[in-house]
Amino acid sequence: MAPSTSVADPQPSSTTDSFNSNAAAENDIRPFFVLHKASSGSKPTATVKAKRRIESPSPKLAKKSEIESVEEEDGQFFSTLRLKVFETVWSKIENTIQDVLRDSNSKVFSGVHNWICESFESVRSSGALSLSEAVRSYPVLSQPSSKQLFTALVLTRNLEMVDDLSTFEDLGLHLKSQGCHVAKLSSMDFSAKNGVGGCLRGLLRQFVMPTIDVADVTVLASWYRENGNHKNPVVIIVDDTERCSGSVLSDLILILSEWAVKVPIFLIMGVSTAHDAPRKILSANALQRLCASRFTLSSPAERMDAVLEAVFLKPCSGFTVSHKVALFMRSYFLCQDGTLTSFVKTLKIACLQHFSLEPLSIMLEHFCQDNQLPGEGTGLLTEATMKHAFDLPSVTRNKITRSTCEMLPQFLLDLQRMPNPWSIVVLCIYEAGKFDKLRLLDIFCETLDPEARYLKYFAPSAILNSQSHVSGRNSVIRRVLRKLRDLSPAQLSSLLKSWESLTAEFSEINEKVMELHPFMRNVEAAGQRPGLPTSPKKHASRSHSKLEKELKAMTDKISAVIEFMLREYMKPVETVPFNEILCFKNVDKLQSALLGDPRGRIQSDLLESHSILNCLCCSQRGTTLLPSMHDTSILYALAQEHADVINLHDWYQSFKTILIPRNSKAKSKSKTTSKSKKRKERCEEPEPPAEASIQARFCRAVMELQIAGLIRMPSKRRPDFVQRVAFSS
Amino acid sequence: MEDIDNIEEDEFGFSRNYFLAKELGGSSKRSARKLSDINLVDEQELRETAFNIETKHEKEITELLNDYKTMYPKWVFELRCGFGLLMYGFGSKKGLLEDFASSSLTEYSVVVINGYLPSVNLKQVLLAIAELLSEQLKSRRSSGSLSKGQEAFPPRSVDDILSFLYGSQSEDKDCFICVVVHNIDGPALRDPESQQTLAQLASCSHIRIIASIDHVNALLLWEKKMVHKQFNWLWHHVPTFAPYKVEGVFFPLVLAQGSTAQTAKTAAIVLQSLTPNAQNVFKILADYQLSHPDEDGMPTEDLYSASRERFFVSSQVTLNSHLTEFKDHELVKTKRNSDGQECLNIPLSSDALRQLLLDLSQ
Repeated sequence: MAPSTSVADPQPSSTTDSFNSNAAAENDIRPFFVLHKASSGSKPTATVKAKRRIESPSPKLAKKSEIESVEEEDGQFFSTLRLKVFETVWSKIENTIQDVLRDSNSKVFSGVHNWICESFESVRSSGALSLSEAVRSYPVLSQPSSKQLFTALVLTRNLEMVDDLSTFEDLGLHLKSQGCHVAKLSSMDFSAKNGVGGCLRGLLRQFVMPTIDVADVTVLASWYRENGNHKNPVVIIVDDTERCSGSVLSDLILILSEWAVKVPIFLIMGVSTAHDAPRKILSANALQRLCASRFTLSSPAERMDAVLEAVFLKPCSGFTVSHKVALFMRSYFLCQDGTLTSFVKTLKIACLQHFSLEPLSIMLEHFCQDNQLPGEGTGLLTEATMKHAFDLPSVTRNKITRSTCEMLPQFLLDLQRMPNPWSIVVLCIYEAGKFDKLRLLDIFCETLDPEARYLKYFAPSAILNSQSHVSGRNSVIRRVLRKLRDLSPAQLSSLLKSWESLTAEFSEINEKVMELHPFMRNVEAAGQRPGLPTSPKKHASRSHSKLEKELKAMTDKISAVIEFMLREYMKPVETVPFNEILCFKNVDKLQSALLGDPRGRIQSDLLESHSILNCLCCSQRGTTLLPSMHDTSILYALAQEHADVINLHDWYQSFKTILIPRNSKAKSKSKTTSKSKKRKERCEEPEPPAEASIQARFCRAVMELQIAGLIRMPSKRRPDFVQRVAFSS
Repeated sequence: MEDIDNIEEDEFGFSRNYFLAKELGGSSKRSARKLSDINLVDEQELRETAFNIETKHEKEITELLNDYKTMYPKWVFELRCGFGLLMYGFGSKKGLLEDFASSSLTEYSVVVINGYLPSVNLKQVLLAIAELLSEQLKSRRSSGSLSKGQEAFPPRSVDDILSFLYGSQSEDKDCFICVVVHNIDGPALRDPESQQTLAQLASCSHIRIIASIDHVNALLLWEKKMVHKQFNWLWHHVPTFAPYKVEGVFFPLVLAQGSTAQTAKTAAIVLQSLTPNAQNVFKILADYQLSHPDEDGMPTEDLYSASRERFFVSSQVTLNSHLTEFKDHELVKTKRNSDGQECLNIPLSSDALRQLLLDLSQ
């Protein structure tokens, strides 16, 4: 079990052989098999309290208390304790995110619920039906209005569905909690293959019972009349309308609308493109049956900002990321994906990597729990971890030594201090940036910069001479400062109010904000004067210039306050001693775990095999190919010299030239007839590989390239050529 | 900003290489030399030699694999945190994954799926996993709170099994089954339905997937929902340079000219994955071919009546579905004989056929 011991022990036989022993060979050709069952001896117990260590090197260690075992772990930190803290931290972050999303959706959700209640009342007022009436197969009423199906179009404002899956799940839960009968269908249920029967079956399974296997609406109708089910509305949620088969969805709408009086059904359709999407997929017949209302969700960018604020800027788990990681997450969000889901996944991976790389990360547990002094966290700090703590770069940089060890609790307290002044500063700038529709994500990334490059925009020349800093074109701080000058007195006043409430808990900044009030009053006073009806024109122009003057003074003052906040309090977490406990920095690890690049990496594996294998024989090669190199590597390197199609004959010949030692090269090059080859092989002394062996190796290398998807095999039309499929970048 | 520039740079480099290659193909005349100009060795010899090629750099490969062993605890940690592991990089990762599973995942049940085989029946896999899980949950709960209905296997459809897997709840988050999928991008799993099923499997709270990919375009198999919500991949670049021994069995050798002919071994593997009835139908055909070596093959009608007599098929439709399966895997070819009848023929020599029948009856 202990990997460290197996690493230390040299493998008795060659790896490939030991991995593929004879007993396993049979398993190789079975489609699937059970490798082993969970060992009963070390079965994890249900209680989390029992701290189990998964890789205790010896049984005696496992008996020791967790604290001692942390000490003796010696670089192996993947203990159960760490997993437990990770789970605590992550569940805190996850719950925070869920709360934020719930808040952002709550308005729409309650809107949908109200709409359902109102419509349901209107249906019910038209008269309840008895059971026998309701199960009859012909419609009870024949007015056209009775065949209307109440439909809510929920516009998701995001083409990518993945974020909205959970939104619709939450919506379902919300409606369920309000007493509605809810079923959820997705585009998979609306496949042309299964037809309308498939989705009816799905509905019945969710409403009536999970094992039902009929597709009959009467079952639904009779279920609805049973056990007081009819007191509540029936809601069907289709989250990805655009991807459903239009004809199947139309059929379902037609069927359900026929039964609309007996079973009042409310259809909720998630629409990600535009509100006219149903017109494009549904048949005209079905469209006529819809009685649609429209609801709109918040956009991904808005949700993103709300999540960012709750996770990093408000008291949450304590976990945070460095400037570089934040930049990567931002560019991943903007360039690659644009979904909150992937952002959350990135965050989770960052958190996971933090816990697997940083042993002191277990102290985050104490940041997570409210009302607990971090000083108690130091109880976990044993000799080994203390040493590690004082070797952290942020500690050595600040020249903190073991002698100041008693200061550690103080430092931790500083780290934990929430509301953190810098988060207040970021939020204040965000408030100012809102007038220019700036995103919190951008502000967050720029202000995290430990080198504080944003301060250069406060030099007077920088504001005036806007062309001088080309690199700062997109700087948010600069944009905030420029936008300030365009603000109206009302906007300035609202900015001031929001700053006041943001800084309420932090007196130093709050004082500065309060100092702005007299200037604001001047501006307001100057602004009111021209409004007087009796004032002559001359006065008006004079007071106008006065207003401008006051405004200028005000904005200068505000930018001075921003500068003050940034200079004095914007201490990004990376500059604080011991920040490594909280802050994840390894952007490369995050990137490689999040985004595999099989296309690029597999090709570079082949072209630079010697650097991965670290073999002495091939690493000195320079640009020439050596016969000792991996066959597939040689072949792929040779393929680079060809066009998009490769002549198999030429490819084979050049492969052979590489494999056969140098002194025989000339011969094999000039003479390619079979006779000369045979003669040549007879007279070669240092055992050149036999023809059959070269051909077999060639075949295998081609096959491996084919498995990797780098080439396509010869077609019937072009039997002598393979096609290159991938081109290295 | 820099990142965007880098991405653009990369893409530019890629397209530049593509067009350079295209241009090269257009401007210079393509070599007209034929494969037949090479003095090709006998196919049988080629296969034997290919099977016994000694691996280069065996020592370095062993060291590389040993290096990866230091990552095992980290991988276990990641699995326990709820992620799926996706291994990529050049070289067979079969040995690596199985070594990892059998040395570091002893606490968890491990099911291995060989995705490189030409046919994998996912329903059977799911059934096996469901049985394992219910067994595991039962043993964990002192009071068996599983109802009889839940235990009743086999359920009717894949959906039923999946809903069983979703339904089984346990408070212990650390109770899960690891599913190792070799070549999740393999030929048998490449279709969207299989990937959907695997993704649904992966999203069960009691399942963790450890998978390997080899194809450079494997990413195209998944949409965002699958990547982020269901598989929840963590990527690991682990080139091993180990030979693709088992994975390559089903690929034709480029220099074997008659490479379309199946070997008895690959045919046996395909047949073993089919139903017993299908195997029996195949045996009838094979027996006929052995006893009538001079004929073009067995007429379809004769095969139907022979199979029906022995209750292997109930209708022409069932027989046709078996035949389609055979044809898809190139076990059977159809041609018309001199009378114009459609005949079925197994493209194997009599010796190979005898060997195959022997293998099947074991």
